[in-house]
Amino acid sequence: MTKEPETVIKLSEIVRTYNLSAEPVYALRGVSLEIKQGEYVAIMGTSGSGKSTLMNIIGCLDKPTSGTYTLDGQDITTRSDDELAAIRNRTIGFVFQQFNLLHSMTALQNVMLPLVYAKVPKVNRKVKAELALSELGLSSRMEHKPNELSGGQQQRVAIARAIVNSPRILLADEPTGALDSNTAREIMGLFNRLMEEGMTVIIVTHDPETASHAKRVIKVKDGLIQEDTL
Amino acid sequence: MKSLEDISELLAIAWQGILSNRLRSALTVLGIVIGIASVITLLGIGQGAKLEAEKQVQSLGVNLIYVRPGAANLSSISQGQGSAATLTYDDAQAIRETCPAVEDVAAQYNSGFQAQYGEQNTSTSVVATEPSYVDIRNFYPAKGRFFSNTDMKEASRVCVLGETVANNLFGATGENPMRKQVLIRGELFEVIGVMEHKGVTQMMDMDDQIFIPLTTGYATLVGLNAVTGKQVKSILVRAKENEDLQAQFQITNLLRLRHNIQNPDSDDFTLRTQADIMQTAQSITGVFSLLLGATAGISLLVGGIGIMNIMLVSVTERTKEIGIRKAIGAKYSEILAQFVIEAVLMSLTGGILGIGLGVAGASALSQFANWKTDVTPASVVLSFCVSLAIGLFFGIYPARKAARLDPIIALRSE
Ligand SMILES: Nc1ncnc2c1ncn2[C@@H]1O[C@H](COP(=O)(O)OP(=O)(O)O)[C@@H](O)[C@H]1O
Ligand SMILES: [Mg+2]
Repeated sequence: MTKEPETVIKLSEIVRTYNLSAEPVYALRGVSLEIKQGEYVAIMGTSGSGKSTLMNIIGCLDKPTSGTYTLDGQDITTRSDDELAAIRNRTIGFVFQQFNLLHSMTALQNVMLPLVYAKVPKVNRKVKAELALSELGLSSRMEHKPNELSGGQQQRVAIARAIVNSPRILLADEPTGALDSNTAREIMGLFNRLMEEGMTVIIVTHDPETASHAKRVIKVKDGLIQEDTL
Repeated sequence: MKSLEDISELLAIAWQGILSNRLRSALTVLGIVIGIASVITLLGIGQGAKLEAEKQVQSLGVNLIYVRPGAANLSSISQGQGSAATLTYDDAQAIRETCPAVEDVAAQYNSGFQAQYGEQNTSTSVVATEPSYVDIRNFYPAKGRFFSNTDMKEASRVCVLGETVANNLFGATGENPMRKQVLIRGELFEVIGVMEHKGVTQMMDMDDQIFIPLTTGYATLVGLNAVTGKQVKSILVRAKENEDLQAQFQITNLLRLRHNIQNPDSDDFTLRTQADIMQTAQSITGVFSLLLGATAGISLLVGGIGIMNIMLVSVTERTKEIGIRKAIGAKYSEILAQFVIEAVLMSLTGGILGIGLGVAGASALSQFANWKTDVTPASVVLSFCVSLAIGLFFGIYPARKAARLDPIIALRSE
């Protein structure tokens, strides 16, 4: 326990450009960054500064144009799409601003979905999903479809889905952006709790109060890290 | 076992996809239902027509050879006015007596007449023929008897009625036709029998005929020609078992000899065998089946394109869902399988419903429209496989499109 926490995420000189028109758009201009196991990191910055792009790359949803990304000591940039899918499934939980739940499915089915792709046996799936939902205070809402739930409840379902497969890293891109301030505070409480349980948590937020919970705040500007409180 | 669980998992996911837009899925399935049902029904009609044609040809009797006056070749000069009178009763006798490969012969002379009994009268075909007719035609009296050799010899005024004729003349009064006197062109004939039901063979209603001895016919009604003698309209010949070819050869040679024909091109008679007729019937029904099959195939193709179309719409509409699934760990193959299985489930459901509907349609046609249909197990299996193949073929392209989506782009779509 006294051992120094290991580095889970290591980005070096990450560049991401979009070549939609003749003039390439630089979303990230060379970001280098290390995050250790169990850290609680807030990423802040103005709109369009590159926060989402950074999160998507960390979350293995997107690939950098150049630079290297090492996750658990392994180079991610050379991985195949299916290998990245497996990492998204087992190692990383992702929470989106827009919740991104499947509307045709109940809360329980939504939370079970990552377990389906993880090939967890059916019986265990239900048990695990129910456990995750009740941890987030949704025991009575498991059979509800997303459109029968409030925004805060939908985001809690999404968080349950993100953590159900016990990922080591939890990423949240403006998770409270679509919620009112009371609900937002409640959701932030959940992230604080998850961090205390030992998960590495990275949150993109505009809210200074939220950021104050984090041990480390990274400020991004114009695709570069402007300030890192570490 | 593990893979079995995987498959049921994929099925469950695909099934949810289908249920998520029920109306659209149902309409897509309907396209396949109609396609497969028309395949089953139309193949059933084709097959039924083929069987019916074969049955009719069979029912003419086995090893049958028809000898008719006139040339087979219409452009030949021998097809003159008088050529129809070139075949005589003596030719028939000669065939009977001199051709060793011939089992039996029945000459016939048929002609349309009015037949009358009491108030009732009907226009029918009077067939003057020989007693051997029944065995050759495989067509027997249901009531009473056919005329005998004695009747032939004595040219008795007797007749045997076809079922339809008996009904037309006696049906209204309900009288028993037996021993009644029927009037045919002013001549009276005593009814000695009524034929069994035979139906239509070769475009001819076998039940709408009256049979009289050939000799009686010559004496009273038909066929006696001052120049040619006792002419006949056709000679039915039954060859001995497996000697059809010899019989044809012998008859041809005999008739050429009797008619003084040196050049085969100027034959004044024509032989047709059951095999010829069967071949014609089969080639007609074969073309018929092919046309029906092609029609059905086109409707299936349309159904398949419908599936592809709907799957493409579905992939576009569910881009966000695909993005979400990918974001939480779905692999290329899992998204591919989801959409292919969705397409296959729809086409198979359509196929199974279509088979049911097609079988029902075919039997309804037989029941109510009196069309002969025959749905073979092969056509059912074929339809099932075709609907499976359609789902695979038309589902794979949209599914690949879905599986290849970039997760970020897919997530951003709305
Ligand atoms: N798919 C894209 N195509 C083109 N430009 C993009 C795309 N995604 C992001 N960008 C650009 O990259 C920059 C960073 O975007 P993003 O990471 O979404 O910023 P943030 O999340 O901090 O608001 C912006 O200038 C944005 O316009
Ligand atoms: Mg953003």
